[in-house]
Amino acid sequence: MKTSRLLRAALMAYGIGIIAWLYLPLVSVTFASISKARYLSFPVKRYSMTWYTRALESDTVSDIVFTSLKVAVIVTVVSMVVGFFGALAFARYNWRFRKLYQKLILLPIFFPQTVLGLALLMWFNSVGIIPTWKTAVIAHLVWISPIATLIIAIRAYSFDAALEEAARDMGASTWVTLREITLPLLMPSVISAGLFAFLLSWGNFPLSLFTTGADSTLPEWLYAKMVSGYSPLVPTVGVLSIIASFCLVTLAVLFPWIMRAARKDR
Amino acid sequence: MQFAPAIPPGRYLYSGQTMSSEPILRLDNIVKRFGQFTAVDGVDLAIEEGEFLTIVGPSGSGKSTLIRMLVGMEEVSEGAIWLRGERIEDTPANERPTCMVFQSLALFPHMTVGQNIEFPLKIKGRSPAERKQRALELLALLRLPEHYYTRNVTQCSGGERQRIALARALAFDPEILFFDEPLSALDYRLRKTLEKELKDLHERTRKTFVYITHSLEEAMVMSDRIAIMNSGKFVQIAVADDIYAKPVSRFVAEFMGEVNLFDIEGTTSDDLHGTGIEIHVNGQAGEFGISLAPNEKGTLMVRPEFVRFLSSGETSDFLVRGILRAEYALGSRIQYKVETANGSKLTVENLREDRYQGAIGDAVILGWDIESTHIIRE
Repeated sequence: MKTSRLLRAALMAYGIGIIAWLYLPLVSVTFASISKARYLSFPVKRYSMTWYTRALESDTVSDIVFTSLKVAVIVTVVSMVVGFFGALAFARYNWRFRKLYQKLILLPIFFPQTVLGLALLMWFNSVGIIPTWKTAVIAHLVWISPIATLIIAIRAYSFDAALEEAARDMGASTWVTLREITLPLLMPSVISAGLFAFLLSWGNFPLSLFTTGADSTLPEWLYAKMVSGYSPLVPTVGVLSIIASFCLVTLAVLFPWIMRAARKDR
Repeated sequence: MQFAPAIPPGRYLYSGQTMSSEPILRLDNIVKRFGQFTAVDGVDLAIEEGEFLTIVGPSGSGKSTLIRMLVGMEEVSEGAIWLRGERIEDTPANERPTCMVFQSLALFPHMTVGQNIEFPLKIKGRSPAERKQRALELLALLRLPEHYYTRNVTQCSGGERQRIALARALAFDPEILFFDEPLSALDYRLRKTLEKELKDLHERTRKTFVYITHSLEEAMVMSDRIAIMNSGKFVQIAVADDIYAKPVSRFVAEFMGEVNLFDIEGTTSDDLHGTGIEIHVNGQAGEFGISLAPNEKGTLMVRPEFVRFLSSGETSDFLVRGILRAEYALGSRIQYKVETANGSKLTVENLREDRYQGAIGDAVILGWDIESTHIIRE
């Protein structure tokens, strides 16, 4: 089908509009982070990188980043493992309560996170657990591991069961089949699930707000700084966080290519 | 439906040697139920060492379920499987010395051709050098170029993938090699080539091959023996020629390609009631084992290629008058449809050079000899 010139122009305008709508806020935050002024104003009159130096030198900031990182890394690793086996149960094997399991496992994704956070806080209190960043890990997992399961399950559905059967037929035990066939073939989806898990945990605010107790994650700290005692550190740390996420996504996009290169060498 | 007994040992010759008396695989009343449904319904079979046996049946006949039980991917509901005198029906697939080529081939897409072929050797713990040497030997055996060793399987064509799957199965060095319709996804010409390659490979390796397919042509080209399966049971097990010429039931007769079948009753006259077939056999019928006692019911069978157009004055053992209704060109042969006086249709196939000289609508006389006639008693 041939697209008319008018339609092409309209599509182009639409595309640019969407991208602008998505990225303009980030641009303004970036400008705010390099502004010399003490208060957020636009347009920026004088530029400076001082706040970046301060952010990188600040002990508070590095503590906060470290807490967020701890939470996100643990959530990522656990989500990948839980999601992998969960997805096999979800998509590959027939068992008695599979249908029910498929529905129940996805339900937490649709809970409002504030309600989920509050519910978890109340539960922690009632069993006598003092909330710290460790409880936040649990809270994040309740919401994120179903997402990871779903991502891996999509690929597990398209997995040809005959591949596992063939491996077994040629003498591979259950464990060897898992290691040599199932895991490598589901690996791309496990990696994307891990990526999602990390980014969702890294940026999560509502669950962390209720469940970190005295500890503080990056989004919480940014919010606290915004509402009481704004400093240009807020946009600066925000931008740094975005850059870090961007690097991670780039790495993930390149991952299949890196894997292929590695396989060629083997 | 009836069981045909397995061929007695030693009677049947193949590849120039007599079968040993001990079958490599013996099935003893194998049953498989899925809930209320019985997929395999009491199957007995003895497979001889080095044999190429093909199990043929329409889809849903239970042949796939049967083969899955033989390799250990499906549990047996009832019965016993004996491999060289050892019961194996409860042995898991990974501990059985058998291997299967899958319908989907099941090549591992994340591995190269070489890694695929070496997989069973890697599982057995062979050294990388030994693995590679064997993989290269197998590539040569299956006429695949050596540089395919490092190629990704996803980049190979249908026929190449087929050969890789075969090489991988041979690398496992199984006691019995099973095939689950591996050629069904390929186009006609490639299938024909691979059928012959597979037969050659069987002759070169002398392994026991058990093949399942729904295509009779495939079975006829390759196998020493054919087992016809329907509704979870074996209907007939015999060499291809016997199955073709002497089917035990209407089902087998029709499954083996175009055939003319007539419901008949034993008679003392020289005409078969209601069929319009005249008999001109001079007391030979009994000798060929096709006689029926008066009033005994049966089915008379004659393959289309044995029916010929008779010129006036010419006679044959069996004779039918009718009108030529249609003519189809089938390549090397021509097929004719002839309608008899009582409305039944007859199929005739002649070689192109024996083409009938006449036109549609002609009154014709068809005839065939007693040697090509078979009576089915069910």
